[in-house]
Amino acid sequence: MSELRRPVPVPDEASAPYWEAAARHRLALPRCSRCARLCLPPSSICPSCHSTEPDFSWEELEGRGQVRSWTVIRQSFLPGFADEVPFVLVDVELDVQEELRMIARLLDGPDAPLGVGSRVQLGFEDLPGGAAVPAFELEADS
Amino acid sequence: MSGRFSAHGQVAIVGYAQSPVVRHADKTLGVLATETARQAIADAGLEVGQVDGFVSATLFPTAGAHAAEDGVSIVTPNWLAANLGVDPSYAAGFQGMGQITGSVSMAVNALASGAADYIVLHRALHNPPGRYHENPMTQAGGSQQWTVPQGYFGPLVMIALLYNEYVQRYGATREAMAQVVVEARKNGARLPWSYWHDRPLTAEEYLAAPLINDPICRFDCDIPVDGVAAFILTSAERARDLPHRPVYVAGYASGAPSRARLPLHWPLDDVQEVGAAMAQRLWASSGISPAEVDLPQVYDGFSPFVYLWMEALGLCGEGEAHRLVLDGGIDADRPGTLPVLSGGGALGNGRMHGIPQMLECYLQLSGRAGDRQRSASVGVACHSSPHFGGAVVYTSEPS
Ligand SMILES: [Zn+2]
Repeated sequence: MSELRRPVPVPDEASAPYWEAAARHRLALPRCSRCARLCLPPSSICPSCHSTEPDFSWEELEGRGQVRSWTVIRQSFLPGFADEVPFVLVDVELDVQEELRMIARLLDGPDAPLGVGSRVQLGFEDLPGGAAVPAFELEADS
Repeated sequence: MSGRFSAHGQVAIVGYAQSPVVRHADKTLGVLATETARQAIADAGLEVGQVDGFVSATLFPTAGAHAAEDGVSIVTPNWLAANLGVDPSYAAGFQGMGQITGSVSMAVNALASGAADYIVLHRALHNPPGRYHENPMTQAGGSQQWTVPQGYFGPLVMIALLYNEYVQRYGATREAMAQVVVEARKNGARLPWSYWHDRPLTAEEYLAAPLINDPICRFDCDIPVDGVAAFILTSAERARDLPHRPVYVAGYASGAPSRARLPLHWPLDDVQEVGAAMAQRLWASSGISPAEVDLPQVYDGFSPFVYLWMEALGLCGEGEAHRLVLDGGIDADRPGTLPVLSGGGALGNGRMHGIPQMLECYLQLSGRAGDRQRSASVGVACHSSPHFGGAVVYTSEPS
């Protein structure tokens, strides 16, 4: 047993809506009012149109997408994950916007059948203290 | 940037020193750096008092909970100048990725502009006590809130996602990567200063190693070390009066991705697209074409970069490097191959960042490689990833 717990996110002004939504098991991302593009991570300047006054509005999204890459973590440099290995991380392109990528754990475990293009949907991992971290699950019918 | 670099062939490397590369040195990094710099200055036929420029990059590339302390775990240009007793007219550090190629570009610019006459370019790398990347954090704020809470941490994971994308897209095998690592270790085993001196690796040993972050095993990663290298650079004109045959800088380029990504996210498309643009700038600035390069030295701090650099430089087609490697195409002992790891790289030396690539270009093009001497006149030294790092073209003649 590791004596260190898994690291929990520390929200800041820019990220608070993201973590607040995650705690409710929802994915929320900021959308730029100038170019209407979403971004992750949240930023003070829109990474798509580079506006310094993007007036982002937070939007709840479905969180489906396809796997672009993955890795099985068999050894973690974070002692708080010592009891979690092996686990899978997936690099997912969300359906909602081209090249909008999220990297998160795949909750199906290291033996789940995975390929480039595998369909996934959002899931969540609850952490002690009320926080939840976005994760993915293989779509049931894929 | 347009057309050929106006400082083309105007700046040269005129001397060097490489400390032994060890797991833990018996002296501080600052002492090692000071001694190595003095050796390099003497090697160039100069006195310490003639040196008036200092350039380095001080990134301490650990994700662990280790402090960056000048003279202990890093050595800045100003620290080195002060400890050599020099009041420099130019001292500057490179902040971006591709620390070695970036440092070279700063030194070239300073010399070509006349900001300095003789520059010590050094790189001091430290292996702290304890596990290199281990970090006992239990909270993740700032940029780490986007990666750490899901266990996405450290450079291996970033490379594993990138490499698996390559593996899935092009069908690369572990057998091919075994040949990359075996080649690096074979060449590193011949270097007296290398951590891996006299310790080659077999393909069987590579294939038997368990995966850490699939498809990466420990042999795909360079080993953290204590080590310092220093080079002396000056103008081509001044170089003529110095004892060693100068090696000239023909041009350089660095990558600059514009697409915003999550921290530690290097998707294959970014590496390829931005890397190809970087390579175009490299050939345009140096006036050299890929076919003229007889000493390509690709970066290999993580083994997948060997494929990515070979392809970015146009030494083979996109997605083809792994097949070329499997066919013996990078075996430096065979005629007609691409000797991309003849200097052992980081996998064959230890975590010296892009130093082994630069050093091999210098040693071979100056005719100072001893019994490893090859016939070569155009070298390319690469560092980091093609899309974030950079490359420098070196020539044995000024134009
Ligand atoms: Zn915008």
